[in-house]
Amino acid sequence: MRDQRRKDAVWRFLTYAFVITMVVVMMVPLYWMLVAATLPQEQFLQFPPRLIPGTAFLDNFAALQERLDFVRTIRNSVFIAVVYTLLSLVLCSMGGFAFAKYEFKYKEPIFYTILATLVLPIQLLVIPLFLLMAQLDWTNTFRAIILPWAANPIGIFLMRQNMKSIPDALLESARMDGATEFQIFYRIALPTMRSSLAALAIILFLFQWDLFLYPLVILESADMYTIPIGLAQLTGFQRIYYDQIMVAATLAIVPMVVLFLVLQKQFVSGILAGSLKE
Amino acid sequence: MATSDETNDRVEQTYRRRARARIQSVGRRLRRAARPGWDRVRFARQDLTAAMPALPRVAYLFIAPFFVLFGLFLAFPVFYTLYLSFFEYQGVGEGSLFWIDLGPLYVEIPQIAQLNFVGLGNYARLLGNDLFWQSMFNTSYILAVQVPLMIGLALALALALNASFMRLKGVFRTAIALPVSANLVAYSTVFLLLFNEQLGFLNYVLSGVGLGPIPWLTSEFWARNTIIAAVTWRWTGYNMIILLAGLQTIPQQLYEAAEIDGANRWEKFRYVTLPQLKPVLLFVVVLSTIGTFKLFAEPYVITGGGPTNATITIVQYIYRQAFVNFNLGYASALTVVFVVVVSIFSIIQIKLGGED
Repeated sequence: MRDQRRKDAVWRFLTYAFVITMVVVMMVPLYWMLVAATLPQEQFLQFPPRLIPGTAFLDNFAALQERLDFVRTIRNSVFIAVVYTLLSLVLCSMGGFAFAKYEFKYKEPIFYTILATLVLPIQLLVIPLFLLMAQLDWTNTFRAIILPWAANPIGIFLMRQNMKSIPDALLESARMDGATEFQIFYRIALPTMRSSLAALAIILFLFQWDLFLYPLVILESADMYTIPIGLAQLTGFQRIYYDQIMVAATLAIVPMVVLFLVLQKQFVSGILAGSLKE
Repeated sequence: MATSDETNDRVEQTYRRRARARIQSVGRRLRRAARPGWDRVRFARQDLTAAMPALPRVAYLFIAPFFVLFGLFLAFPVFYTLYLSFFEYQGVGEGSLFWIDLGPLYVEIPQIAQLNFVGLGNYARLLGNDLFWQSMFNTSYILAVQVPLMIGLALALALALNASFMRLKGVFRTAIALPVSANLVAYSTVFLLLFNEQLGFLNYVLSGVGLGPIPWLTSEFWARNTIIAAVTWRWTGYNMIILLAGLQTIPQQLYEAAEIDGANRWEKFRYVTLPQLKPVLLFVVVLSTIGTFKLFAEPYVITGGGPTNATITIVQYIYRQAFVNFNLGYASALTVVFVVVVSIFSIIQIKLGGED
């Protein structure tokens, strides 16, 4: 018995040690980025590296703003990601509902065709998409960034899986009461999917947030830049001001962290609300 | 005193008004139900909606918005890529349709182009190209190390955070998942600096424990591992959260039953957790594999594909062919091959993992 208790204590200690080590590993680059953003350029490239925050954050920020209106860049990114996420949530939940709850011709082939596009590397659709956008005269617009991946295959897959868990009896009783199919969808199906929608929102937001090559090709003027393009732009100058890049990187993390903290609980409970078991 | 009387009066009046409203609304409903036509309308609506699911049109209406965007912006480019892969795309003349130069990043699409049909020529060419095989090898190496490493870490962390004795679960979970919030280009730049051979923080720490400077970015072997470290750093927490969600769906009774049977910690993991978690694990593995196959921005920013092409990935190679050398036809053929390889890989994984 005593032996068992000691074994448990050792096990607990090892588990905590492992988790805390991983937390440190995860935090060090972020902390270092934060410190780097507060140091003037001269101290930044010192060896050994400084690990205590300096006081030059606002100066660096002012210098960054002078070079590129980064506040506007962040606003652009947030705007694009929010509109994209909302639009895609509507499309994916409607589509997912149809695939989960209706029978129709060619249902399976259509669904698996959509799912197959998951393997497409988005960087490589850039050429045909750019040619298409040039035809439509949509270059340098946000809609050219927002629309193409609003029909997101992972989104429709997750919504289909999760909506399968809605009991058919529930939908049937609503039908008995004379609800139209669309009412059934948004009055009954959607409210039960709240946590799944939150989980999907994080996935979609992150996807749009990370797009790099495509917006680079589409967005031409500096006032339209998104965060990755702005950052790439900063590294493209003749002298690279890493302190300013670190300020930009630190600011760029804020919207995603906020979204993540707000929706984290739902993400955990929502991503597998249905189940992947079939 | 007068004020309190007034307040009481007002409260009373409010209550009376609400009660009256409620009685009226109930009365309205009763009167409506009593109307002879009403039932007929309701039955008609019920009949109509009962007939609805049989009409496939409703389902098509639901998927139509998705499908319009899908067809226009995903299906069309896919077919166009397939079409282009049988042609040689030659930029003619000086004019550029599009042109951007950001120092290391350079993209140009020539305006006037000639398409020469070459049949399977592009495919024959890629099979004989050394850089294609090099990029295939690099991607496979990164994939073979990175995905098992990341999933292993994510699973271990999820199990640890799911343990009953663990405190501060929320704090740990948030901290470990935080890297996913870092912007792709931003975190790649941070890693570029952290892993700098002379000035980087990592070599500083290593020198503190007496280890010589490691050429993280300049040696072929280490550069690949640096990319692996970067990708693993960013995505481990994300996968951990999905696996954690999966662990929480496993019924507690299964563990209790296993305990009664005298199962130890390993046996509980092997015979309860693993089989129960299998679908979620498969989901995570397939998505991570596809994600790592598509690796582009990290090697682009951190190593630029070097040293001597040791970290050039397939997507990066295709990007170079398309936007730097303007071999759009050849790049399209590469894309087709790439998509076929990834698809086969995913299908094998799903077949192996989803037997039951």
